Amino acid sequence: MAENDTDLDALFAAARQERDFLPEDLAARMLADAQAVQAVRAASETAPEQAKRPGLWSQLGSALGGWRGIGGLATACAAGVWIGLAPPAFLPDPAELLYPQSDTDLFADLSLSDLNAEEG
Amino acid sequence: MGDPGDDALLVLFANGDGQAARDLTGRLGPRAYSVALRVLGNRAEAEDVAQEAMMRLWQMAPDWQPGRAKVSTWLYRVTLNLCLDLKRRRRTEDLDAVPEPQDDSLSAPERLQEAARIDALQAALMQLPERQRQAVILRHIEELSNPEIAGIMDISVEAVESLTARGKRALAKALAGRRTELGYDDG
Repeated sequence: MAENDTDLDALFAAARQERDFLPEDLAARMLADAQAVQAVRAASETAPEQAKRPGLWSQLGSALGGWRGIGGLATACAAGVWIGLAPPAFLPDPAELLYPQSDTDLFADLSLSDLNAEEG
Repeated sequence: MGDPGDDALLVLFANGDGQAARDLTGRLGPRAYSVALRVLGNRAEAEDVAQEAMMRLWQMAPDWQPGRAKVSTWLYRVTLNLCLDLKRRRRTEDLDAVPEPQDDSLSAPERLQEAARIDALQAALMQLPERQRQAVILRHIEELSNPEIAGIMDISVEAVESLTARGKRALAKALAGRRTELGYDDG
């Protein structure tokens, strides 16, 4: 058995002779991988600000209080339009408030010559 | 000033140092290739596994925490896991039936006795159960300590000792009939 052990140790020693061998093309591929990984990392590190800057809609959404704020705003707008178009009975007609209709003619007693006389 | 350790090289690599990439390839590439070659017994597959193991090293470099483990230990473990994955895939594809060296395996064109001996050892290694083969390769070819092998294989030191002892006995038995052929009976 000792003889076999010695043989085995010799075989292990022979295998160890090849232990530090790395085929050239394999070394080149490993190095190419390493450089590719470094390049990707370098590219991602040079543009983190651009990647992190929020877009216009994102900024607007934040300014308005997120999706809850935008939802509330939209509801308020819709309610305003509806009230404008079909106001409840207890509210005055907004159109009338802006352009009041009157049966009285303010200029009924004035003639064109009176108006000209006032200006003159 | 001594050479920087693997830890330091990995940090340099993560910071974009090209020389660190070359140094790590020179130091650790052969380790991954050697183990994969002995475990798989096939050069082409060993090259694929070693390249993938190194790729994982490059990718994990920024997350490496120096001092927590040896880089080489991590690499051996990844390499062995990749070997196991490959063998499982092979088994699924039903191509794992031939343990002898294949077309592009270890047979050298010039059959020097040294090469013949290495081939004989490889053929005997391929007959060992997977864990025994791994332990024997790490102990007797990579010359790692038992505690380090235990860390790599995630088993106890006693289990490593048992695996290597049984593996050596099985190898000696497998090679016993080939002493003359391998030039050990000449004298």
